[in-house]
Amino acid sequence: MLRPFAISCLATLLALPLCARTRPHYGGTLHVEIEGDPWQRPDGLPRRLVFDGLTAIDANGALRPALAVEWDSDSTAHRWQFQLRPAVHFHDGSPLTAQAVIASLNAACSANCPWTAIRAIGSSYVVFTSDSPMPNLPTLLAGGDYLIVLTATPDGGTPSSAVGTGPFQLTGFQNGVLMLAANQNSWQGRPFLDAVEIRVHRAIHDQWLDLGVGRADVVEVPAEMLRQAQQQRLQVISSPHTELVALQLIETGPLQDPALRASISLALDRASLYNVIFQKQGELTASALPQNLSGYSFLFSSDRDLNKAHEIRGGLAAPPLKLSVEGDGAMQLAAQRIALNLREAGFNVQVVTGATQPTDLTLRAIPFESADPAAELERLSRLGGHTQPVSAPTPQGLFKSERDFLSLHTLVPLLDLPRAYAIGARVRDFELLPGGAPDLPDASLEGAP
Amino acid sequence: MGLMRLLTAGLVSALMMAVLLQDASAASQWDEPAAALAGQIADILGPGQVRFTLRNASSIGNDDVPVIRRLLEQDLKSHGITVAGSESANAIRITLSENVRERLWVAEVVEGTETQVTMVHLDLAGAQSAQQASGMVLRSQQLFSTREPILSVLVAPGALIVLEPEQFVIYDHSGKTWREQRRVLIGQKRPLPRDPRGIIIPNNDLISFQAWLAGTECTGNDTAQDAGSWSIHCQESDDPWPIAAGADGNTPARISAFYNGARDYFTGVLAPNAGVDLPAFYTSAVIPRPAGGGAILVNGIDGKMQLLDTASSRAQPVAGTRDWGSDFAALNSGCGAGTQVIASGSGEAATDSLRAYEIPALEAVPASPPLAVNGAVTAMWPAPDNKSVFAVVRNTAAHAYEVDRVTAVCN
Repeated sequence: MLRPFAISCLATLLALPLCARTRPHYGGTLHVEIEGDPWQRPDGLPRRLVFDGLTAIDANGALRPALAVEWDSDSTAHRWQFQLRPAVHFHDGSPLTAQAVIASLNAACSANCPWTAIRAIGSSYVVFTSDSPMPNLPTLLAGGDYLIVLTATPDGGTPSSAVGTGPFQLTGFQNGVLMLAANQNSWQGRPFLDAVEIRVHRAIHDQWLDLGVGRADVVEVPAEMLRQAQQQRLQVISSPHTELVALQLIETGPLQDPALRASISLALDRASLYNVIFQKQGELTASALPQNLSGYSFLFSSDRDLNKAHEIRGGLAAPPLKLSVEGDGAMQLAAQRIALNLREAGFNVQVVTGATQPTDLTLRAIPFESADPAAELERLSRLGGHTQPVSAPTPQGLFKSERDFLSLHTLVPLLDLPRAYAIGARVRDFELLPGGAPDLPDASLEGAP
Repeated sequence: MGLMRLLTAGLVSALMMAVLLQDASAASQWDEPAAALAGQIADILGPGQVRFTLRNASSIGNDDVPVIRRLLEQDLKSHGITVAGSESANAIRITLSENVRERLWVAEVVEGTETQVTMVHLDLAGAQSAQQASGMVLRSQQLFSTREPILSVLVAPGALIVLEPEQFVIYDHSGKTWREQRRVLIGQKRPLPRDPRGIIIPNNDLISFQAWLAGTECTGNDTAQDAGSWSIHCQESDDPWPIAAGADGNTPARISAFYNGARDYFTGVLAPNAGVDLPAFYTSAVIPRPAGGGAILVNGIDGKMQLLDTASSRAQPVAGTRDWGSDFAALNSGCGAGTQVIASGSGEAATDSLRAYEIPALEAVPASPPLAVNGAVTAMWPAPDNKSVFAVVRNTAAHAYEVDRVTAVCN
């Protein structure tokens, strides 16, 4: 009776790899598939491959130099000076200069920027000034919104494609596949992979099929499908709760009365979103910052209180509201559920798709990009159009800033979700950055040439 | 019977003493935050009776929670706040919490319908790693630490020469620390690989060296024997790198190997020709063989370990290296067989480790327990006398690269 078992064990032992772990291999093409728009800001997958920021966030969430090697501020943080890394070139060969950085940042941020003005000192220094203090500027500049893009060629023309200084350069887009090649001259060192090919707008089930037959190396696993992925024994790499699903409310128009916004906030049923739509993945939350960043998220109650929602609203009449949603699948379902919640509180909400203008309500997933809670809170408040910097040297101060921000009811946190990818057997050293985006420049392929 | 009773009584006393000592140690750790939080609560609430609840949502052990509760109750009492039953209108809800940086003790102070929040924060205690003591034991001592990546270092008389990807940094010894004297840019003309490597080999005079990086070879010398007088020159070069200083450590550049800078591995071609085709490999070490002579241990780019006997020019696979990482170096410890191979871990664990192995035949046999290091090992090489090994460790928590000197203690 024991014999088959013993033979099976022996076979297993013999099948174990007898090899030591090696350094990562150079070479090979990594095939990635995604469902959405690749260039979506702030964290579309190729953005961090093609572009760099002045600063960056490392795997621990800490700030580190990138295109800027040093920075310092005056004592009140109203003026910051960044020194650019020398001898860095864009993919087209043009040099990285202060003028190119300023042109890129001005194009990226035309309104509600953390700074009032930017100017160059020579070609190597960029100076940011503001009427308000900018205590979090170095961390904010690491965000996906402020990556440095070449806006003009040396002869004054417009670049024909996305040109940056990043570890990969765009080489083409054919049949729904975005092709990127290793930047041999990357200031961070040449990436291990020779190329990355990103197949875009691919349905999740098709991605998983492609992974199964070896046509894809890295595919997406939405939070609500994590359990399914585990049941299918996919090799899943997931981040902690790095994405905040929140309802954004505009302060103008029909929702300019804070009481209406407070009523909406109380009418939302987070538990049903968590249990039904997101399949009990992540955590329901009423705090802007996740527990692992703040340590006090439990202080904000996430309970639904329909009676109080009615009470606060009182006799205030709200005209029909429009709710748009960023994302597919579960986010669309969540928007429908939210509309239902709000109808129960007396609001007439219509879910719209493909909105070109800002709507009264927007359901969105916002990635956290660093481990700096003050910077993350400031970024969230800027999304809502608030320009007050967050300076919170103590947790008590941070809590007060967050409580004040949330009391405006312009951003209603709903869920903290993990981000996850499934990878094929030949992929190694695949890790996720603090915001949940894959760190592909440090990934490599087993058996690469 | 009397002896038994005496032993039992002694054991009970010892146990009680141990519990008390443990309690006292835990109490002293939490004294300060408990007193601070109680003070802040008293500022909000003033004297009176309260309902009191304590919840642990942190990594603090359950054994410590009663100690913290007792401290908080005592400190609140000293401010005139006493814990009462459910009849009290006021309440204090304390949550022991934490985030990625610090512990946070949060108090919600409820007076009627109003709730106020106050909190104290304290450092997350670092985990202590215990070292198992059995057989040969590895010990490490941090030599140097910096935020920049370190490829290799050379300890010269009165100076430390640090090879970084794009420069040499020369330090002199100032008291107990190394003080930066100057930097010498290497000025590579070719782009660097993602995980650049480099080596510094001292010459016998100890006041000059040769160094190799991808596509570059450098020489340095210090005629005045002063950290400030080092002269370093670099040039483009595809010459082979010395991969083995020899088991006795006295003959630098005895065997060299051609390095593919674009792919970060040695091609397998040796100089002088060893008369055998080696596979392309990442790492190598020279180890003496029981029958005399030496052998070169190489880690192929496919992860297979092979031993090339220099006398017979035969390369054979080595078993027992599945737990090895990509870096290893020979150590002449004098323990056991005399020479061991110190290998990094395979990266399967959360933190890296170093472990000594002996290779009596064609199987690596562990010769020491693993020695935990503060991060991932990124480079390793033997000291010139082969009696210690240098390891570069990327300490992600401290955002630093450390150079550790690893030695062995024979038991």
